[in-house]
Amino acid sequence: MILALAGALRRYPAGVRWGLLAAGLLAAFGLPWVLYPPVAADILCWGLFAVAFDLLLGHAGLLSFGHAAFWGTSAYATGLIAIHSGLPFYVAVLGGAAAAALLAAPIGYLAVRRSGIYFAMVTLAFAQMVYFIANQWGDVTGGENGLQGIPRELPGVDLSDSFVFYYAMLPVVLLGLVTAWRIVRSPFGRVVAGVRENPDRVRALGYPVDRYKLVVFVASAFLSGLAGGLYAVNHGFASLQEVYWTTSGKVVVMTVLGGIGTLWGSLIGAAAVVRLEDWLSTAGFEETGLVTGSVFVVTVLVFRRGVWGTLAHLLRYRAAPGTAEPEPHLEHDHDDTAQRVPS
Amino acid sequence: MKRRLSTGVALAAAGALLAGCGGGGPSSGGGKISDDQIVLGVLTDLSGIYADIAGPGSVEAVQMAADDFKKKYGDKAVTKNIEVIKADHQNKPEVANTQAREMYDRKKADALFDVPTSSAALAVATIAQQSKRLYFNTAAATTELAGKSCNPYTYEWAYDAYMLAHGTGAKVTEQGGKSWYMIYPDYAFGQDMQAKFTTAVEGAGGKVVAKDPTPFPSDNYSTFLLKAPGLKPKPDVLGALQAGGDLANVVKQYEQFKLRDKGIELAVGLLFDSDINAVGADKLAGTTFTTAWFWNLDDEARAWADRYKERTGKRPTFDQAADYSAATHYLEAVQKAGTDKAEEVSKKLDGMKIDDFFARGGTLRAEDHRLVHDAYLVKVKDPAKAEEDGDYTELVDTIPAAEAFGQPSPDCHMS
Amino acid sequence: MTSFLQQTFNGLVSGSFYALLALGLAVIFGMLRVVNFAHGAVYMLGAFGAVVLADSAGLGFWWALLLVPLALAVVGTVLERLLIRRLAALDPLYNFLLTFGIALVCQDLLRMKYGSHSQPYDHLPFAGSVDLGLFDFPRYQVFVLAVSVVVCLTVWLLLTRTRIGTIVRAATERPELTRAFGIDTGRWVTPVFGFGVGLAALAGVLAAPMRAVNAAMGGDLIITVFAVVVIGGLGSVFGSVLAGFVIGMLQALGNLYIPVLSQTSVFLLMAVVLLIRPAGLFGKEEHA
Repeated sequence: MILALAGALRRYPAGVRWGLLAAGLLAAFGLPWVLYPPVAADILCWGLFAVAFDLLLGHAGLLSFGHAAFWGTSAYATGLIAIHSGLPFYVAVLGGAAAAALLAAPIGYLAVRRSGIYFAMVTLAFAQMVYFIANQWGDVTGGENGLQGIPRELPGVDLSDSFVFYYAMLPVVLLGLVTAWRIVRSPFGRVVAGVRENPDRVRALGYPVDRYKLVVFVASAFLSGLAGGLYAVNHGFASLQEVYWTTSGKVVVMTVLGGIGTLWGSLIGAAAVVRLEDWLSTAGFEETGLVTGSVFVVTVLVFRRGVWGTLAHLLRYRAAPGTAEPEPHLEHDHDDTAQRVPS
Repeated sequence: MKRRLSTGVALAAAGALLAGCGGGGPSSGGGKISDDQIVLGVLTDLSGIYADIAGPGSVEAVQMAADDFKKKYGDKAVTKNIEVIKADHQNKPEVANTQAREMYDRKKADALFDVPTSSAALAVATIAQQSKRLYFNTAAATTELAGKSCNPYTYEWAYDAYMLAHGTGAKVTEQGGKSWYMIYPDYAFGQDMQAKFTTAVEGAGGKVVAKDPTPFPSDNYSTFLLKAPGLKPKPDVLGALQAGGDLANVVKQYEQFKLRDKGIELAVGLLFDSDINAVGADKLAGTTFTTAWFWNLDDEARAWADRYKERTGKRPTFDQAADYSAATHYLEAVQKAGTDKAEEVSKKLDGMKIDDFFARGGTLRAEDHRLVHDAYLVKVKDPAKAEEDGDYTELVDTIPAAEAFGQPSPDCHMS
Repeated sequence: MTSFLQQTFNGLVSGSFYALLALGLAVIFGMLRVVNFAHGAVYMLGAFGAVVLADSAGLGFWWALLLVPLALAVVGTVLERLLIRRLAALDPLYNFLLTFGIALVCQDLLRMKYGSHSQPYDHLPFAGSVDLGLFDFPRYQVFVLAVSVVVCLTVWLLLTRTRIGTIVRAATERPELTRAFGIDTGRWVTPVFGFGVGLAALAGVLAAPMRAVNAAMGGDLIITVFAVVVIGGLGSVFGSVLAGFVIGMLQALGNLYIPVLSQTSVFLLMAVVLLIRPAGLFGKEEHA
């Protein structure tokens, strides 16, 4: 696994690569020593969610505004499995992620028929539908009371201490991250990147473009589900908040903040947002949306590369001035080819 | 310029990331009062929809209870160190969950108070049980807290869906509102309220002509308001079980469809002072509902409300009054037990008779940890008769403690 | 039958709001290729504008109806000049994200100032109801429907009968061709954005006397409006408006006859439309 992670950084010089990997692993293993363990576990969950989301946004160029549907569906499914079966939480989370992927198939099938801005609106609308269903279907989801009492089950280990639970869930998150990276680096991932850059050319080469998009969509939903399931087990319940559109918005904010298409930047974005919210809530400043919203607006306006992208850009710019890294590229809708000329 | 700015923000973000606080180990109860300190935590909604009903006003109420306790016992108090801490849960159960853990574990809270929104309250109740510390719910209305989700560490102090539904349903029917048209939001609380209302109305000899679930949230209730006058037999009462913004929608549109002129009165399930303010007391004048307490109830209530107003400049809500009452009785129980160990304090609390400015004729039931006390059927005052701003309600009838709350739920197993 | 007609009419009233919002979204999208996520926030600001005018200046509903959309339209043009324009050369998704951020900030600013609970608004311009032959209906709600229909028709006439309209419409429906003819559409961008924002504000002012006014009122609504424009076809002004009214009706009837589906029906309809006509009912075909 560590080798795989090392490979993930191949683009960078060896020193930087090993340095980053060491720092990353140190951060992952050291987090609950520095932060309050439940908050550290939240960072892992949101981090994986943001990476899964970036797989879709940064690599396939598809902006989903409805990823809460997958995170939340898995949270509920994981909870139901854990409550009713008593199986180890790993199984429950895997089941939850499968449920998310299952839901993603029809939604993705419909959504990939549109691209660009339409894709964003369509996914948002479908996620809202999932929210309404979860709210009405109180017998199963607990409605606005939430699905309470999700156990942290693992034979032979007492997971009630969040510090212990953190290390129990860490391997799942790392596996998820490696999977995301493997997808990006695979031949499949390269075709997907091609779809983002120039769908017409990829189609002309004989690739079924929509099917590629659908597969990435489902994969992203699966990984989001993994994260959502862990989140539900971490907190011991799943609530409507998980499927609400603000959750979709939050993961968008994290990924954009960290850097679209940087994959690992999303982890930083997630950590920053979770940390910020925890700090604001403890400090008694209540308007978290105001702060995150403003940071987000500034990010979109002046540093679209995000934290990771900007740092990488600066490093490379210092190494070889003049070789500016392009800003993240998002897929165009087809009738958007004629941009208006700024006057 | 652009680049420098970007770097700055990146550094700031990295800083925020690293600025974690060091973790401390779980507290160990050494002496009788752990750390010679009692910490009362108020976990509430400091900015959201319940910020006026609970929020900073609840924090102040608990602080007031602590101050009064110190004044009352002086040197004889079990400890002089009583600290009140607060946190915002933004009405999100996951934030409530993390904050509750943090308050019990790291900030050594001995008891938590308030916690609006049912999902958040249920989440905190679970943490209370895991942490073996007490939690006094005053703000969430779900009956599950004293039902399926009851536990030895959680107490219900103010009200619940049964109290709201039973009082209004039964009393309005007895006073002549025989046939009802019920509209309820289609989610757990709404469905629960609807069932309890129906039982109460039928128990009092009334009839529910029709009941419709309404979308939640919704801007448009005209569908149901149009339907009401055409029902056979024509209902005497429209029972609107929506809450907050949705209720404001219902009332505004009820007004426009002139249903009161057509002989259909409005009864509501849950009405807070902030809702009355939102819709306008003139529009709501005459609307009946049930409340756990209101500040203009009688001299005793007013006396406390005056003291509260001196501190805060505002009149208290029933939730804030309940926070004071709960915190006071918690501190009294600690004083009696001589320790802040939850199990010992709990022994003193269970079965306690409580009769203060808030809870009249009250008993803290040991079976389900619900405080049963008198409730009040009230109606919204005509603004012309109001004595001051915020004087919204007048008493119609007192519902004695024995009737106000249901029997202990068979689903509750204290363990 | 009367009840059916009555409910249909009621649906048209709530459809009025969808139509006004969808119209604003559609003209902005047409000109700028930007989907304005902050549209729901503007609707909310419009309603708050009416409340603030009444509380601070004692100006009633009619003043609000005139001043608030104008003021917010000006704010919209400033926003376009200062922020939206900066991202104009990039993928429109960046502006979608930007307006999402702006919506978050607006909503929280209002929450900070006024709290989350609803604000009172007492200025109902018409009391009573009007006899529509088969049934009575509150006068104010009939007025809302009339305003919405008149505004939508006026915009339609502007688009079809005037030179400005022709340019805007051409830029909306045939952007490449318009540019190829050497028509400078750039100078219309700012006014059109301001106009679209003004329409959302108008819907907000109209909502104040009959709906709860609070910081969250636009958040859920905008998602439904997104579904509406996907169904109607965002590229088509006519389709968006029509879809707005139709969905208002469907929801009102759904509430009555199939309550389980009342909230999900619009999204189910969207799924069906995506299956059979991905471009929306009135959108032009594109290879997707």
